Amino acid sequence: MAQKSFRQALNEALHFEMGRDPRVIMMGEDLTGGAGANGVKDAWGGPFGVTRGLLDAFGPERIRDTPISEAAFIGAAAGAALTGLRPIAEIMFVDFAGVCLDQIMNQAAKFRFMFGGRAKTPLVIRATYGAGSRSGSQHTQALYPIFTHIPGLKVVIPSTPYDAKGLLLQAIRDDDPVIFLEHKMLYDTVGEVPDGAYTIPFGEARVARDGKDVLIIAIGRMVQVAEEAARKLAAEGISACIIDPRTTSPLDEDTLLEFTETIGRVVIVDEANPRCSVATDISALLADKCFDALKAPIKLVTAPHAPVPYAPNLEDAYIPSADAVVKAATSIIKR
Amino acid sequence: MSSIEAVTVPKWGMTMTEGKITQWMVGEGEHVTRGQEILEIETTKVTNVVEAAATGTLRRIVLKEGTTAPVGALAGVIAEAAATSEEIDAFIASYADRLGAGDEGDGGVPVPRTIAVDGGAVNVLEAGPQGDETVVLLHGFGGDLSTWLFNQSALAENMRVVAIDLPGHGASSPIAGGDVFPKIVSAVEAAVEAVAPGKLHLIAHSFGGAVAAAIAANRPSRVGSLTLIAPIGLSRQISRDFLVDFVAAERRRPLLGVLERLFADPSKITSDMVEGTLRFKRLEGVPEALSAIADTIADDNGQLQSIGDQLQALTCPVTLIWGERDGIVPVPQQAEVPGNVQLRIIPGAGHMPQMEASSAVNEAIMENIQRSSGI
Repeated sequence: MAQKSFRQALNEALHFEMGRDPRVIMMGEDLTGGAGANGVKDAWGGPFGVTRGLLDAFGPERIRDTPISEAAFIGAAAGAALTGLRPIAEIMFVDFAGVCLDQIMNQAAKFRFMFGGRAKTPLVIRATYGAGSRSGSQHTQALYPIFTHIPGLKVVIPSTPYDAKGLLLQAIRDDDPVIFLEHKMLYDTVGEVPDGAYTIPFGEARVARDGKDVLIIAIGRMVQVAEEAARKLAAEGISACIIDPRTTSPLDEDTLLEFTETIGRVVIVDEANPRCSVATDISALLADKCFDALKAPIKLVTAPHAPVPYAPNLEDAYIPSADAVVKAATSIIKR
Repeated sequence: MSSIEAVTVPKWGMTMTEGKITQWMVGEGEHVTRGQEILEIETTKVTNVVEAAATGTLRRIVLKEGTTAPVGALAGVIAEAAATSEEIDAFIASYADRLGAGDEGDGGVPVPRTIAVDGGAVNVLEAGPQGDETVVLLHGFGGDLSTWLFNQSALAENMRVVAIDLPGHGASSPIAGGDVFPKIVSAVEAAVEAVAPGKLHLIAHSFGGAVAAAIAANRPSRVGSLTLIAPIGLSRQISRDFLVDFVAAERRRPLLGVLERLFADPSKITSDMVEGTLRFKRLEGVPEALSAIADTIADDNGQLQSIGDQLQALTCPVTLIWGERDGIVPVPQQAEVPGNVQLRIIPGAGHMPQMEASSAVNEAIMENIQRSSGI
């Protein structure tokens, strides 16, 4: 099977689905990478190289560069979805979603509910998130807890190139609004990705590693951190199981509960700030449903409750590390 | 010199490079018999047991529990009582020199490739030295070439061994339209022509057994031996529910429940197996292809394929291997087995004896290959 990067996998999904379904359109800032700069088109393939080649393949009617106006184009995309198109709107950094929250949480997320299921909103909002790229605190947050909190939105956080392609195809074909979050530091990771089309159902966690001593639940880029931690734990004779929820809404509660019941020791690794987060949400779920199976307190390894620092050494210290996961796991193994 | 046997870290699957010793099931100084489970090893994909290759005393544990070591590393030493400590020490010292002298080399992990055939592509994984004869491995319905995780490396020590993803499985493209079975046979034959010159030794499991029997019937002069593991086509009995439920399972938990029926010991199933199966099941066109294949295997009245006459017409050695506790394709009645065919029953194994009792299956395969001329 071909080895492809996370970026290539996303690009393949966009090419495939736009070719298959003429209702799919894209809009966002600098999607055509260089539009307006001395007439240069698609020089970068979009801000992160994900949309390369789409302009040539599908033309400016379907690949729309927008002004810096998230409130306007997210609203336009939500309206387009209501009227029968299947728009993909790209917010360059998820941090900018704040200016269009009304369109997302008060409009798109509620249409199906308010109209008794008779309105479909097949809208995908793609955005980057996450620390590590020296992008400063206004371009680096992991804001998926905000969207996970809002009923009516589906929230997707892929961690591998394979998942990126399959989940994006599923997102575009879904009839509800989907927030699709891509960690900037994952774009160059490489893995096996089939050339053909495939979809991964939402609400289906991935068991990334089998193990019996401790369960590590990790989100997005933190799956890599968990895998590094699992290798270190293995060297100490501790067998770690890793589960990647893939989507935080819907959440695959059954798999999380099943493995917690079996293993009894849980570490949750989440790059988002810890208060009212996905980590705390999952922790509460497990404590509620699996209390008798727990052999030790659930441990959370998260970023601190602070904005993301710009200084490289502080940003590195902000990101949950494999050593922190090892320390958390070891602390509950020894209890 | 007394008889001294090495217990080494095995190679389970073409991508395995190292394993972790998780448990010695016997202690130093204890008697072991050939075939006894003595050592548990964990890899990133699977945890399995190593069987003793000789009868004697476990004289030395070289790799302690918790140790991670490369494939081929000496884990322990089995010897008869007459072997002296000096002889054991010399054996261990000599083995240290052998490690790393194998033919794997840096980056020597084989990778699959695809062969273009009419109507799509067939994925193959090759291993072992080139020669005049080639072992071809064909998996069953719903499987892929990783079915041969515990077999391909062992067989490839002496021969070229090619594992093939059947159309609609693994990384091979699905067959579209009607006449699914002959199209699959034709695609596999085309792939075999491309990668396996000379005499063929066909090893096939379950549905793959019918494909292998058809290939052997089409070109008997090419086939040196035929070893079929729980093939369809000899009786009417089959678990139709397994086929239906396998096609319907789109998520991990229901698929795990279906795959568990394949094994006498369901704990053999890893998340990698489930995820790998889901990967090809999710590809566009595959659910329809699997459904069509299932319909060629059985209907509500039982199996639809018949291979008895094809086997009877063959002049090459033919062996059937069956797990005693097979719940998918039960062991056939003696009257259903052609007279020229050997039948070997593996105790305690289900529909996947090549995974549950790999040593016994590998041995039976090699015996059948050796029954043909030229080996």
